[in-house]
Amino acid sequence: MNATLHVPDGTVGAFARAVASDLILTEAHELDSRNWAAWLALYSVDAKFWMPAWLDENAQSDDPNTQVSLIYHESRLELEERVDRVNSLKSITTMPLPRTIHVIGGIRLLAHSEDRIQASSSANVHVYDPRTSDHHIAAVRYSHTLSRTGDGPWLITCKTISLINDRMPSVVDFYTV
Amino acid sequence: MDVERLNTLVEDRPEDDIFAVNSAVFTDEAIFAAEMAAIFEGTWIYVGLDSQLPEPHSFFTTYIGRQPVIVMKDGDGQVGCFLNTCRHRGTLLCPYKHGCQKIHVCRYHGWSYNTGGENVFVTAEATGQYAASFTEADHDLVKVPRFESYRGLLFASLNADVPSLSEHLGDAKVFIDLVVDQSPVGKIEYVPGETTYTFNGNWKLQFENGLDFYHFSSTHSSYVDILAERAKRGTIGVLPSEDEPEAQGSFNFHRGHAVNWSILSQSIFSRPLCLEQDALDAVRARVGATRAKWMLRQRNLTIYPNLQIIDINSAQIRTWRPLSAHKTEMTSHCLGIVGESAAARRFRIRGYEDFFNPPGLASSDDNAMYELCQAGYAAEAGPRQGYARGMASRPGAAQKQADELNISPVESAIGVGKAFGAKAFGGETNFFPGYREWKRLLQKESAR
Ligand code: FES
Ligand SMILES: [Fe+2]
Repeated sequence: MNATLHVPDGTVGAFARAVASDLILTEAHELDSRNWAAWLALYSVDAKFWMPAWLDENAQSDDPNTQVSLIYHESRLELEERVDRVNSLKSITTMPLPRTIHVIGGIRLLAHSEDRIQASSSANVHVYDPRTSDHHIAAVRYSHTLSRTGDGPWLITCKTISLINDRMPSVVDFYTV
Repeated sequence: MDVERLNTLVEDRPEDDIFAVNSAVFTDEAIFAAEMAAIFEGTWIYVGLDSQLPEPHSFFTTYIGRQPVIVMKDGDGQVGCFLNTCRHRGTLLCPYKHGCQKIHVCRYHGWSYNTGGENVFVTAEATGQYAASFTEADHDLVKVPRFESYRGLLFASLNADVPSLSEHLGDAKVFIDLVVDQSPVGKIEYVPGETTYTFNGNWKLQFENGLDFYHFSSTHSSYVDILAERAKRGTIGVLPSEDEPEAQGSFNFHRGHAVNWSILSQSIFSRPLCLEQDALDAVRARVGATRAKWMLRQRNLTIYPNLQIIDINSAQIRTWRPLSAHKTEMTSHCLGIVGESAAARRFRIRGYEDFFNPPGLASSDDNAMYELCQAGYAAEAGPRQGYARGMASRPGAAQKQADELNISPVESAIGVGKAFGAKAFGGETNFFPGYREWKRLLQKESAR
C-alpha cells in the first residue's frame, strides 16, 4: 500500500468502508441478477474498466498503450456496447446466458477522502454454462475507485480486475469475472 | 491408417465435385493419437518468434504436439530448440514461460545445462561410481531434429524427414512477407501480454474457422451491430478505397496452407498501416503499390497445422496445442510491427482487444460455436455439407490476383464480397489443402 495514503480510521473511515462495501456487493448482485442497466448506472460516464493480461508468472501488463489487456475500456459507453451485445440476443455466448454468482470477500479500504474511496477485494466468480453444463470459477482480485461529485451518488470511476487463473475458458466477459 | 480408411474419413473427389469430412475425424481419440504422431510430431510446427529471444541466453518454453520444448539463444546468438526434459530422471527442466539465464539447473538433482543445450554439470559425478557407459554417454539436452526460421517466425520439426522450411512454406511465404514487410526494419514482435484459453472441441474447428468468411455475418452479428452503431457515431476510421470490385477470395497452397483475402471498396475498419499518410507513403515506396495494396486487404493466413495470422485492423497470431480430440488449448498474441508509431501501436492493441482477444466482442462467439459443433458431431448424420461453397469457382479463378503477387497457388477461388454482409461469397474450398495434407501425413506415418 502507498505509504502516503491516509489510513482509514474512526467514524469517517467506517462510513467510507460501508460505502465501498455496499457498492462492491451491489455491483455483484446486479451482475448476478442480470440487471444490466442497474449495473451500468453504478459507473461514471468516464469510468475505466480494466483487466490486465499476465506478462509472465509474476507480472501483469501495466501500460494499456503498449501492452495487451484482457479487457480495457475507457468509458461507460464501451461497457454499454458489451451490454447491448448481451441484450441483442444475437451473441452466441449469451444463447443461453451463463449463470453466475460473485462471492466477494476481503473488502479492504485503502484510502478515502470526501469525494474519493479506494478499496480492494477478492472474489470467486462461479460461472455455470447451461449450454455445456460446465462450471468453472474465475479467481479474481478487484480494485475499485469510487468517486462522487458534491452530494451526488458514489459511482465507480475505475475497476481493475486481476484474473488469477488466466488460462481462460471459451467465454469470458464482463459478467464472468 | 490405411489409404482405404483415410479415403472414407476424408472423401476428396474433385472430378465429381465431392469433398466430405467424416465427423469421426473430430471425435475419435484413436484418430487424435494418430494425428499427434503423424502431424504434430511429423511436420513443421510453428513455435514462436525470434523477437521472443531479444538477447543472449534468452529462452521461452512451448510445446510441439504433446512434447514440451525449450527454445534458447546461446551466448553467441545461436538459437536452438530442445526437448524440455532433464536427461537424468526426465524432470521438466524449465517450468517458466520465458526469461533469460545462462544456466538451467534441474531442480531435482542439480544437473545443469547451458543455453546451447550442453550438460555442464552432473552433480557429484566423481563420487557416483558411474560405469564407463555413463561417463561416455552424451548428457546434453535432446535437440529437436529440425529447427529453422522464416522472417523471424520459428518452426521446428520432431521428424527429421521433412523438406526445408522454405520449401514447406512455398508460396505462403509471400503472405508472411506482406505482414513482415510492413515494418521499416523487416521485423515483427508480440505485443506483451498473451492470452491462453481452451475450448471443448477439436483443433480442426479452429483450423476451419480461421479460413471461414461465411460465418462472419451470422456468428458475429452482435458485433456487426456494434460496428454499425460506432459508424453512426463516426468513431471508425476509413481505409483508402480500392477501384477494384468488392470480392472475397482464397489461395490454396501445397502442404496444407491456405489464405483468405477480401477486397473492400470501403472498410468499416481502418488499419494501423494507414493511420498516418507518411508512414503509408514510406511503405508504398519500399514495397511498391501492388504489395502495399495487398497489405491493406484483409488476409487470413493458415500455415498448417498450427498457425494462423490474421491482418485486419489489428494483427493476430493464433497458435494451438491440441489436448484431446475434444479439447484444444489456444494461445493468442497481438502481432506488432516493429518500428510503427506509438499511435499505430495503440490503435492496433485496442483493435485486438475489441475483436480478436477471447474476452473481446467476437472471438468468444467463435469458441462457443466450436463447442456446439463438437456436440453436434455426436449425431451420426452422414456427410456434412460444409465444404461446398466455391466448388464451382475453382481451380484457377483468382489467377489475376495470383499474378499480381507472382505466386502459383494450387487452386484459387473468388466470389462476390459485400464486406461482411450476408451476400458475401465465403468460400469453403480453402479448407481442402489442410485435409489433403492431413491425409498425406497420416498415410506417410502409417507407411513408416
Ligand atoms: S531429474 Fe534432473 S537432475 Fe535428476
Ligand atoms: Fe469468427
